[in-house]
Amino acid sequence: MILSLFNLLIFPGFLFLSLFGLAMEFVDRKLYARMQNRIGPPWFQPFADFIKLAAKEEIIPEEADPVMFRLMPVFALTAVVTAFFYIPLWGTHSLFAFNGDLIVVIYLLTLPTLAFFLAGWHSTSLFAMIGATRTLTQLFAYEVPLFMAVLAPALLAGTWSLSEMTVFYQVHPAYAGFNIIGFIVALIAIQGKLERVPFDIPEAETEIVGGTFTEYSGRLLAMFRMAIDIEAVVCASLVAAVFLPFGFGLGPAWGFVIYVFKVLIIIALLALLRTVLARLRIEQMTIFCWKVVAPAALLQLLINLILSGVL
Amino acid sequence: MKWLQKLITWARIKSPWVIHFNTGACNACDIEIVAALTPRFDIERFGILLKGTPRHADVLLCSGPVTRQIQDRLVRIYEQMPEPKFVVAVGTCACSGGVFQGCYNVKGGIDAVLPVSAYIPGCPARPEAIIDGVVKLLSSLDPKPAATLPETTTTAKST
Repeated sequence: MILSLFNLLIFPGFLFLSLFGLAMEFVDRKLYARMQNRIGPPWFQPFADFIKLAAKEEIIPEEADPVMFRLMPVFALTAVVTAFFYIPLWGTHSLFAFNGDLIVVIYLLTLPTLAFFLAGWHSTSLFAMIGATRTLTQLFAYEVPLFMAVLAPALLAGTWSLSEMTVFYQVHPAYAGFNIIGFIVALIAIQGKLERVPFDIPEAETEIVGGTFTEYSGRLLAMFRMAIDIEAVVCASLVAAVFLPFGFGLGPAWGFVIYVFKVLIIIALLALLRTVLARLRIEQMTIFCWKVVAPAALLQLLINLILSGVL
Repeated sequence: MKWLQKLITWARIKSPWVIHFNTGACNACDIEIVAALTPRFDIERFGILLKGTPRHADVLLCSGPVTRQIQDRLVRIYEQMPEPKFVVAVGTCACSGGVFQGCYNVKGGIDAVLPVSAYIPGCPARPEAIIDGVVKLLSSLDPKPAATLPETTTTAKST
C-alpha cells in the first residue's frame, strides 16, 4: 500500500515525472537556442516559469464554462501521468502491466489532445475555438500513423503487452533494426502530438494569438504546460521502449542511466526537427500525414507482417 | 512563509513574459522591440518570452502616444492581463506624448491612461535600452538591489 503510494506519487510517479519533464523542457529549449546560435535560457528557466505561473492570478472568462475550464488541465495531467506507469523504463517490466497495455498507453496519450480541444472549446473565445478545431483536425492526421508505427513492432513480437515486447526484443535485439521506418514515423507523429514546430498549427501565436490556451492564465496554464512537458517525456519513453529496446538487463542503476540517455537522444532529435523546419499550414499538414507518413507506417506494418511469417 | 514569498519573487524576476502593443507609435519603436526579440540579443537568456495573448503576459510593452482611438483598447488589453502586471513605456512618445503632446487626437503618454512601472526614453529606444528597462523593472521587485540601482537610462517606479 505504502509502496504503491510511493510509486504513484514520488518515484517513478508524479514528483519524479514533473521534475524530469521540466528538466527535459530545459534541454529542449537550450538545444533549440544553441542550434540558432543563441546562448539560451539558464537551467532553472522551466522551474521559474512554473513557479511564476502558479503564483499568478487566474482569470476565468465570464462566458467560459467554469467547471470544464478548471477540470481540463487536471484531466490532461492525470492522463499523461497514468500512461507512464505502463511503459517499461529501466527494467523489462513496467510498474503495472497487463496484456493489451500498449493500446491503453496510446489511448491515454490521446486524452490530453482531447482535453486541449475541450479546453479551447469551453473557453468560448474566438481564437481558442479556432485552435481547438485545429487541434482536432491535426489529431486525425497524426494519430493513425502513430498507431500503425507503434503496433508494427508489437506485431513482430506477437504480443500486445509493452513489457512482453521488451522481453522479446531483449532476446532478439537484432529485430529492433527492422523497425527503423516505424521509428521515424513515430518521431514525426509525436512532433504533431506535442504541437511543436512544424506542427504547432493549433497554437500558432502569429496567427491565432495563443490557440487553445488563449484564455488560460495562472495556475491552470501552469498545469497545462506541465502536462505538455510530461507528455513529451512519456512519448519519448514510449518510443524508447518500443523502438530502442536495449540495455534492460544491466540492473536498475545502469538501466536508469541508459533510459535517461535514450530519452535525451529522442528529445534532441525532436529539438532538431523543431529547429530545421518551419510551420506548415493545416491542409499541408494533413496531406503530408496521410500521403507520406501513413503509407510509410503501412509499409512498416507490411514488412513486419512478412517478417513475422518468415522468421 | 517568508521563503515562499522569496521564491515567488525570484521566479517573477527570472521569467518575465512580455506582450507588445502599439498604442499609436510611428513604428520605429515597434521595429526596435522586434529587433530586441531576435537571436542577436537573445532575451531568452533572461527568461523573456514574447507572448501573443495578454492572459499569459506579465509585462505590457507599449510604444507610442495614446491616441483617443486606441485608449479603450489599451485599457481593455491591460485589464485582460492577470495580476501581478507591469506596464513599460517604450520610447519618448510613450513616456510623455513626445512631439504629439497637446494634439487634438492624443491623450498624452501611457501614464495618462495606465499606471506605468518603467519609462524607456529614446526616439526610438534602442534594443539594449528596452532589455535594460525590463530587467531593471523586475529587479526593482527584489527589495535589496533596488536601493543600489544605478541611475542610467531607466527609472523604475513602484506601481
